[in-house]
Parts: sequence; C-alpha cells; structure tokens
Amino acid sequence: FGFFHGFYAEEKLVGNLVSMSTSERIKAIQKMPETMKKKREIRNKVLKEITKKSRHRSTQLSCCTECLQGTVVSFRRFGNSLSECFHLLQLWHKTLKIIRAEFGTSVLSYFIFLKWLLTFNIFSFLINFSFITIPQFIAAEPNNLSFTGLELLTGAGYFQQTVLYYGFYTNATISKIENGPSYNMQLAYIFTIGIYFVICFLILLFSIAKSFCRNFINPQTYTGNASKLLCTWDFNINNEKAVKLKQKNLSTQIKEDLTEVNREVLNFSVTERVVRIVIHLVSWVASLGTAVAACAGVYFLSINNLKLFVKGHKNDLESQAAMLVLPIVASLLNAFIPFFYSWLGHLERFQTPGHQIYVTITRNIILKISIVGILCYYWLNIVAASESQCWETLVGQDIYRLVLVDFIFCLLGSFFGEFLQRIIGTTVCVNLGLPEFDIGRNVLDLIYAQTLTWIGILFSPLLPGIQMISFSIVFYVKKVSLMMNCQPPRKVWRTAQMTTSFMFLLFFPSFLGVLSVIGVTVWRLKPSEECGPFRGLSSMYDAVSQWIKILENYTASKWVVWIYHNLITSELFFFILSVLVLIFTYLYWQIIEGRKTMTKLLHKQIIN
Amino acid sequence: MGNKQTTFTPEQLDAYQDCTFFTRKEILRLFYRYRDLAPQLVPLDYTDKPDVTLPYELIASMPELKDNPFRQRIAEVFSEDGDGNMTLDDFLDMFSVLSEMAPRDLKAYYAFKIYDFNNDDYICKSDLEKTVNKLTRNELTPEEVSLVCEKVIYEADVDNDGKLSLEDFQHMIIRAPDFL
Repeated sequence: FGFFHGFYAEEKLVGNLVSMSTSERIKAIQKMPETMKKKREIRNKVLKEITKKSRHRSTQLSCCTECLQGTVVSFRRFGNSLSECFHLLQLWHKTLKIIRAEFGTSVLSYFIFLKWLLTFNIFSFLINFSFITIPQFIAAEPNNLSFTGLELLTGAGYFQQTVLYYGFYTNATISKIENGPSYNMQLAYIFTIGIYFVICFLILLFSIAKSFCRNFINPQTYTGNASKLLCTWDFNINNEKAVKLKQKNLSTQIKEDLTEVNREVLNFSVTERVVRIVIHLVSWVASLGTAVAACAGVYFLSINNLKLFVKGHKNDLESQAAMLVLPIVASLLNAFIPFFYSWLGHLERFQTPGHQIYVTITRNIILKISIVGILCYYWLNIVAASESQCWETLVGQDIYRLVLVDFIFCLLGSFFGEFLQRIIGTTVCVNLGLPEFDIGRNVLDLIYAQTLTWIGILFSPLLPGIQMISFSIVFYVKKVSLMMNCQPPRKVWRTAQMTTSFMFLLFFPSFLGVLSVIGVTVWRLKPSEECGPFRGLSSMYDAVSQWIKILENYTASKWVVWIYHNLITSELFFFILSVLVLIFTYLYWQIIEGRKTMTKLLHKQIIN
Repeated sequence: MGNKQTTFTPEQLDAYQDCTFFTRKEILRLFYRYRDLAPQLVPLDYTDKPDVTLPYELIASMPELKDNPFRQRIAEVFSEDGDGNMTLDDFLDMFSVLSEMAPRDLKAYYAFKIYDFNNDDYICKSDLEKTVNKLTRNELTPEEVSLVCEKVIYEADVDNDGKLSLEDFQHMIIRAPDFL
C-alpha cells in the first residue's frame, strides 16, 4: 500500500473499490491502513458512486432493483448474525485466550493441537455412529452377558456383545420392510472407514502444506538478531508477571548473544573430538538398546497374554486383572524411559541446547514408534492367526485397554509431574522453582494416543467417542495444572516452526503407519469365521470385489465398474499418476530456485 | 443489555462493521468498555455523533494495555491528536488492528509506526535504542544497547541508508513467521 496523497490518488482508489464485488470491497476497506474517519469517508463515497451507477442503469425497473437491494442487504445482515452464532460454537475460545495471555503462544500451541486432534475424533465418532452403529441397532442380537463394573476398565465381558466392537456387527443386508430399501452392512463398514481415512489424509496434507508455506520461507536469512528483537515480542501477553519475566528473558538472551559474538569457535583437538564421538555413539547405543529391550518385554508379555484369552472366557477377578498387565507395563515404559533419555542427554555435552532437545525428542519418537510397531506386529501376525473365536474383538479390547490406561497415566503424570514439583519447588527445595510446562513430551503423548485411536477404529468403531471424552478431560486437567503449578517458559521457542513439526510428526510416522496397518488388515488378513461384518470372506476387501461383480449385471452402473477396473485396480494408472506428481514437483523446485536467484540479483540492485 | 437502537443507528453499525474486523456484538461490547472507562463523559446515545475524547491516562489503565511496555506509543499512534487521547473511532481502530483477525501486513505497518518514536517514517538508531530499553526494562548497559542496535541495522537495512524504512521492516516481517 502507499500513502494516498492528493485528490487524484483517492479518486483512483474509489474507482477501484467500486469495480470490486461486495465482499472483496469490504475486505479491501478493512485492510486499509488509514484512520476510521478516512475509511468511513471513502466507504460512503464508494457507496454513493455505486447507487449512482445502479440508478443510471435501471430507470425502468427502479422498484424491482430497490427491493432486490433491500433483500441483499438484509440477507447480508442475516449472514453476519449466523457467523456470530458460529463463533459461539468455537470451543474454549475464552480459555485459549487466557492461556495465551499468561503463558504466551508456545504453550498455547499445545492446546490448539489438542483441540485439532479432538475435532478429528468428533468427526470420526459422528460418521461411525450414524452410518455403522445406528443401522446395527436395528438388526441387533440380544446381549446375554451380565454387567459388572470392571468392564469399564477392561473392555471385556459385557462389552464384548455390544456395538463397541467389530465382532458384534452383522454381515447381513439390513432391511426393515420386506422388499424395501436395504442397507448393506459390509459395504457401509468398509466405505465409512475408508472415506474417513481419505478425508483425514487430505486434511493433514493441506494443513502441513499451508503451515510449511507460511513458516519455512528462507529460514536461513533472518534467524539473526533483527527479527529476534523486533518480531518476537508477544503482544498477546498482558499479565504483569509474565511481561516482567519475558523482558528479563529477552535481556538475558541478548547478553548471551553478545558474549557469543566475542567467543571464537573452539577448535577441539583430535583426541577430544574422538572422545565426544565415542560418547555420542555410546549414548545412542544405550538408548536404542533400551528401546529394543522395551519392545522385547512388551512382545513376550503379549504372547503370554494371548494364552489367557484363547483359554476361554473366565470372568473371575484374577484373569480380568491379568488383562490389564500389558497396558500398564506399556504405559510405565512410555512414562519412565524418557527420563532416562533426558539424563543421557545431560551426560553428553552437546554444542547447543537446541541439539539436546532435538536428539531427546528423536529418541522418544523412536521408542514410541517401536512400541506401537511391535504391538501391531503382535496383533496382525499372532492374534489374527490364533485359534480364538473372534480375533478382531480381541485386538479391539487390547486397544481399548491401552487407550484407557494411557489416559489414566496422563492424568497421574500431570499430578506427579507438575503438582508435586510445585510443592517441592516452593517448600522443600526452593532452588528448583516452579516447573515449566514440557511441551515436547506432552505433544508426543497426544500423538501416541491418537495413533492408537486411529489403529483401533477398524476394530472398535466407537473408540473415537471414548477418545473424545478423554481428550476433553485432559484439556481441563492440563489447563488447571498449568494455571496452578507452572511458570511461563524461559526459553524462546520458535512457535511457528514447532507447530509445523507437530503436524508433520502426526502425519509422517503416525498417520502413514496407521494407513499401512489398516491396509495390511483389509487386504491380507482373513477375517474371523464366526463374527463381524466380513465373516466367511477371504479378506475384508473381498466385500468390495463381490459388490463390483454384482454391479456388472446392471447396465445402469457400468461406469462404476469401468472406474473400478481401469482406475482403482489398475497399476498403470497409479504409475502414470506418480510420474505426473514427480514431474510437477521437479518443475516447482526449479521455479523456486529461479526465484531465489532473482531475489539475490534484485537485492544487489537495491544496494547499489 | 441495552437496546441496539439507542446507541448507534443501523447505518453507523454497518459502517463500523465494514471498516473494522468486528461483528456487531463485538462493536457494542467495545463501546461499553469504552464507556466504562468514564461513564460521565461518554453518552449512551451516539446517534448524533458526539465529539468525545478520553484522556490517555484512562486508556492506559485498561487491563489489556496496562502492562504493555509500548502502551504509550500504541495510544499515540492510534489517536487523532497524536497525544494518546482517543475518540471512540480511534479506540475501535486500535482494537481492530490488535485483534487476531487483522492481517499481518496491516499489523506490520502499525508496528513500524509504533517503533518509530520520532515519527519521521524511518526507524533510526535512536528509535531502536528506545525500543531495546523498553523491551529489556533498562537492564542492558548503554554499550550493549548500542551494539545490538548496530547489528539490527546491519542485518535488516536493505537499501543501506543507515536506518530502517517501511519496506525494510516489512521485508523482515515476511521472513519472521513468529511475528504477532
């Protein structure tokens, strides 16, 4: 924008605004960097011009256009009040504002991530409930088992014969009226879950692309002091203590930067360098070794667990409690091994604290991925091939227990981690001070919980509903713990890049891993003979192939069959698609390189 | 509470909605907050566009601005007379730009004006020194402040004239995704 000197510039502006559509015009007026008085003047001028023009055009139809304009205005007012109502539906808007005011945007990014994951679960629960569960209620078989309170914890017993698990769903085509419209449960099950995953994939891809585009432009050019000084003051903080703390941090950081400038890069001697490399190697070996040991432990425990189930339904207290051992052990490993990793990180002397944080987070990710991986291997290879009656329900129950125990451990972790640390920090050992909110660890916990939920959707369609409730409770507990126990973060976190990394972590190991597990289950594994919507078929995907075979007999749906044979199941199509994607990526990359050279040239021109 | 009709005419509300990023409800809520600062000065009925200005001290006592180290500059930039005394129009303008719905270029433009203490359309070294002192509560020594300002100008000055113009500042903001 420029400065609008003079009468002629203003006339030109008014002319531009008149030629735009209404919404564009409003946006342009809102964005103008002028005082309110000036904006109002310009707006009134523009509106006068528009009414003059429309009066010119419609001398005959004057009354029609008047009432048309009247309806347009009232329609716009209605749209505005609708969007106001929509704003009310935004969950926790006020709470998020308070968190941002007192703790800054880095802690806020955790809560926004949690809210985003919650919307995934709400969406999944709604479509699963409407398309799979409600039809099942119509064709439900009676439940003969008794309900004891322990089922809430173990997920077995009474719940086995409810809509919670895959095994309960019928494979029939449901129809209330004879020869009336029918509802094919097999197709509904596979298509609902398939479409949900496709939508999730697209949403994640677009969010990451948008975030990456906004936050990663030329990160190397301005990581320096200028942006640190002028751009990182968080204007959203309006709590006096937080402001004082932030000012102190900024001054400490500036002092550190100034002393760093004076310090030369130390040249390590050869022996020192070798010693450092050896220390790094040893700690990596130690951390990977711990991860492998944890996986082995989980694997052997699960194999022992399987013997319990296959033996039969013994509903006494001992066998029920034995079912909980695996989830508790897995959560304990997930809770305590990260402390070992941070201790290792302190032992190795990294060059910058940023390095230490990244290495510790990477080790935690490897640990969590390996535990989830070994559990998936156990479920898909051992449980699916075992002689149990309904292996999918067993997997669903396992996942239910894991999710529940993880939730309980999250609450306990908040209690012990933050509440006790505050009490110790203020009374017994005042040097420690108040704890800080550990964003990295908490986000990894969220991603782990969401991965388990996504894996579990196929085996237990209502699991997202349970996760929905658990995430809401976690939000409130974390918020209360944050307000009561924690202090604002001392380090300056690069918030925008962090948010992108969270989304990327959610997409790349977590979502794509889930897609591969679901893919293997749907295409390769044989569903159980006696339960579930796919009983008797050789694989879950067979339901779709059989449906296509039926459709081939109707001429009206030949196009569906054509699409299926030539696009979805043909390898040539995917090959051509991949080649096109690669070509476009290469072209875009070349365009970016060209623009970078252009910027450098222009930069030189401005200086001279 | 309060009847919409007695405070603003529908045309006034439409104009405010078109010129700021707020909805009608938010505009009315801000009006009541403006009025709460000085109920005896601000009339309830704005239909005849009364000319009411609140002094800077009342504006600076608002909880959103009370602890902000730049509150005086913010009030000066948005006020009509340049001294921090704000009319309702200036008040709505200020909160509209500071809200989360305002685009980054608009915020960058006003941030530039806020950091430009001597109002000469350039951020020179003395402006930067005042900024650094406000940001760090005068905890750095004058030599450290001077060193920091020199480094900032060296890094951000694209046209090499020793001070930051609006274009230099915007260039830097585009590359700093953490700017709020």
